[in-house]
Order: sequence, then structure tokens, then C-alpha cells
Amino acid sequence: MEGFDKLIEYMPNLMEGAVVTVTVAFASLAIALVLGLGAAMMKLSKSRASRSVATTYTTVIRGVPDLVLMLLIFFGGQIQVNNIGAYFEWDYIDVDAFTAGVLTIGFIFGAYMGETFRGAILSVPVGLLEAGYAYGMSKWQVFYRILVPQMMRHALPGLGNNWLVLMKTTALVSIIGLHDIVLKAGQAGGSTRLPFIFYLFVAFAFLVFTTVSIWLLNWLNRRYSVGVRRA
Amino acid sequence: MALAQTGSMPAAAPAALVAEGIHKSFGDLEVLKGVSLTAKEGDVIAMLGSSGSGKSTFLRCVNMLENPNAGRISVGGETLRLVPGKHGEGLVAEDKEQLRRVRSRLAMVFQSFNLWSHMTVLENVVEAPIHVLKRPKAEAVAYGEEILQRVGLYDRKDYYPAHLSGGQQQRVAIARALAMDPSVMLFDEPTSALDPELVGEVLRVMRSLAEEGRTMIVVTHEMGFAKEVSTETIFLHEGRIEEAGSPQEVFNNPCSERFRQFLEGNLK
Repeated sequence: MEGFDKLIEYMPNLMEGAVVTVTVAFASLAIALVLGLGAAMMKLSKSRASRSVATTYTTVIRGVPDLVLMLLIFFGGQIQVNNIGAYFEWDYIDVDAFTAGVLTIGFIFGAYMGETFRGAILSVPVGLLEAGYAYGMSKWQVFYRILVPQMMRHALPGLGNNWLVLMKTTALVSIIGLHDIVLKAGQAGGSTRLPFIFYLFVAFAFLVFTTVSIWLLNWLNRRYSVGVRRA
Repeated sequence: MALAQTGSMPAAAPAALVAEGIHKSFGDLEVLKGVSLTAKEGDVIAMLGSSGSGKSTFLRCVNMLENPNAGRISVGGETLRLVPGKHGEGLVAEDKEQLRRVRSRLAMVFQSFNLWSHMTVLENVVEAPIHVLKRPKAEAVAYGEEILQRVGLYDRKDYYPAHLSGGQQQRVAIARALAMDPSVMLFDEPTSALDPELVGEVLRVMRSLAEEGRTMIVVTHEMGFAKEVSTETIFLHEGRIEEAGSPQEVFNNPCSERFRQFLEGNLK
């Protein structure tokens, strides 16, 4: 099995790529969660201005392909940063592939998370939040002591789906030259002339990531369903 | 300690709760047309009225769960500073700190319990004492357990609310209110969501609270409770106080024709 030997030979390389992929995924997730919560709160806000900002955000994200956005931020972002930098007389700031990739994916999935969170927030009975206010809790306390634990149960299924899709979307960063597992496999496949073997390995690696994720999500789901009566 | 503020009473203690000229409209519908009420320490005020009379809205205005359009609210002599809201929602608290402090002295018991379903019974009871009153955890837990004992639910302290009956949930909600050592307890139709056979256990707990001199405002449909337990009974009709007085006066000699009709409908 020549292919297998080659795979072993390139394994350290591929593992480096895998670490990049997982890092991009987690960094993007963090941005997406923050943006998503923000977008959801804005959509449910009393102020019309906040609502329209959030709606514009989701409309743009839903309408523009992920790859186009990524190229826009990678190439366009560098030019914009240069322009702004020249104006404020900053030193040269490099928009590297990692930053552009993470920002783009975080930005895209923030919009989807926003929809998930919005629905989940609406499913929490208002009375539970009122009880918090009635007992003197601050807005922030009601948010993290009551709203978040209550809505997580409703948000987790959608959040889990978003995470799996996000994980797979990280493959796009190879296009802008980030050395993730896909790019590494492409290079190895090219130089060994065994692309099938290497891409098969990438497919398998993603399957491992997503399977582990599903286990973790199921565990989280059980945790946040505490106190729920099962029919 | 939060208790220290109310610890030393001056000779003429201020009223536990004063609500003056509360007005509230929802759009074009004026639900409260100037309702006033004063509760002295130890008063149990029963508020009666048919549905839509504004009694629940009044109670919710007192702790600002609804924003009144006009009126004054004062708890233990401290007047809540109110200013017009920016989004046309009526009056809002000028100082959020003050609002939280005042609210922490007004413990509310809701019609639909509103227990936090992700917390156990004990966690529900100690939540606000720990996070709002900043009591030490061990102290709050010991006190919470004592109160649960009192409402007869100590053995259910590690259950989640979903595993309790309605009557038990409402007793937990009362325990949650008691754990705050409130100046005034607000009851918003506490037995209306209960099956008839569960009403008794909740009323028994409320009666015992009245007997130990707790200040309570009780919006209710329970005529028996109003008649036997309250120190003052108020009848609300279309956003105004139509009849008010001691239960003896009010139930035996109602001045208002509407209240007479209301009583006949309920006392058949």
C-alpha cells in the first residue's frame, strides 16, 4: 500500500492543518456566538434603529455567497485597512488569511446564530423574566441567570446544526491561502499524485470532528434540559 | 446587611406602601383611572373586582412591571423617582438602582407561579437573596430551608418545579417571596390557576402569614379569604375604586350597587 505509506509520511503536515482548521472553527464560533446574541437582542429591541441594523445584517448574509464574502473581506479588507491606516497614520496592518477567514465565517454564522437565538429567546415564558425583575434583579442578571439558561435548551438544536455547517465552511479558508487541512491535503495530494487518498483522509477527518461535536452537543442538551418534564 | 435599613423604626413609622393616583392606559384603553391605596404595617388589603377591572394591572404598576402613565409609589417612606420614558411607555424609574432596591422589598407571588424551571426548589428560594440582597450563601440556604420547612416543602427542596403540583409550586413561590424578608407581599391572583382541591393549601399558608402580621396586598377572587382575613377590602370597577372599607362594612353594608351585584354573582 503505497498510498498508505505516503499518508503516514505526510501525517505531521496534515495534523498541522487539522489544528488550523479546528482553531479557525472555534475562533469563528466565538465571534458568531457574540454577534448572534447581539443580533438577536437587537431584533427584539424596542428601538427601531437597532431592529433595522440587525435585519440588514441578516439580509446581506443570507443573500451573498460565503465564498464571495470571504474574498471580499480578504482582498477588499486589506485595501480598506490600508486606506484607513493611511488616514490615521498607523503602521502597516496586515489582514492575514487567518484574520480574514475567521472574521468572515464568524460574521456569516453570527447572522444564522442570531435567528436561532431570537427564536429561543421568544420561547422563554415572559413571566420567568418578570419574576427576575420583580425580585430586584438587574437586566444583566436576568439575562445570564434566567434568560440564557432557559433559552439554551431551545437554542441548542439550531446552534448544533449551525456549528456543524460552520465546521465544514472552514474548508473555504484554503482558497485564501490559509494552511488548513484541506490546503495541506491538496499540496500533499499534488506532490505524491495521490489526491484521492488525501482528500479521502480530509473527508474522514471532518467526519471525526462532526461526530465528536454531535456527542458533545447531546451531552450539553441533556445538561440544559434539567428540570424539564419528559413526556 | 439589607435588613439594617429597616431595623430601627422611628416613633411614627411611615406607611409600608403608598400608591397614589395610579393611571395606566394600554393604547386608547384606560385601564386605571387614578387608583390610590395605603397599606400600614401589618395590613392585609384584599382587592376584588371582575376581570378587566384593572386590579392585576394596579398590582403590576406598584412594582413597575407595568409602567404607569401617572402616579406616585412609595415603599417604607422611600418614594420611587419616576420620569417619562423615551419610547412613550409611560413613567419609568429615573434611578435603576433605586428601582431594584424598592422591588427587592416588594415580593410578588404570581398567578402562574413563574418559578424558574431550570433551578431546584431551594435554588429558586435562595436566588434573589444571594444575587440581589447579597446575603452569604450559607446563610441564605439555611434561611431558605427554614422557610421551606414552614410552607411544608422541605422534603421537596431538591426537586425541580415541573415535578411538583400547582399548589406545591405556589407554596414554593410564596417561600421565594418570604426569603426576601419583604416589607410588602404582593399576591396577584395566587389561587386562580390552581385546581379547586389545591386552593386550600395555598390559602392556609397565606392566612398564617396574615396572622403573623405580614403586610400583604392580595388581588383575589376568594371572597372567603377577603372576608375573614383582610383588614381592608377594596372593590375595583372599570379602573376606579368603587368600594373600600373594613370587610365587615363592605360585605354587610355595601354602598355600591355594582359591588352588591358582584357579591351576588360570587356568593350564590
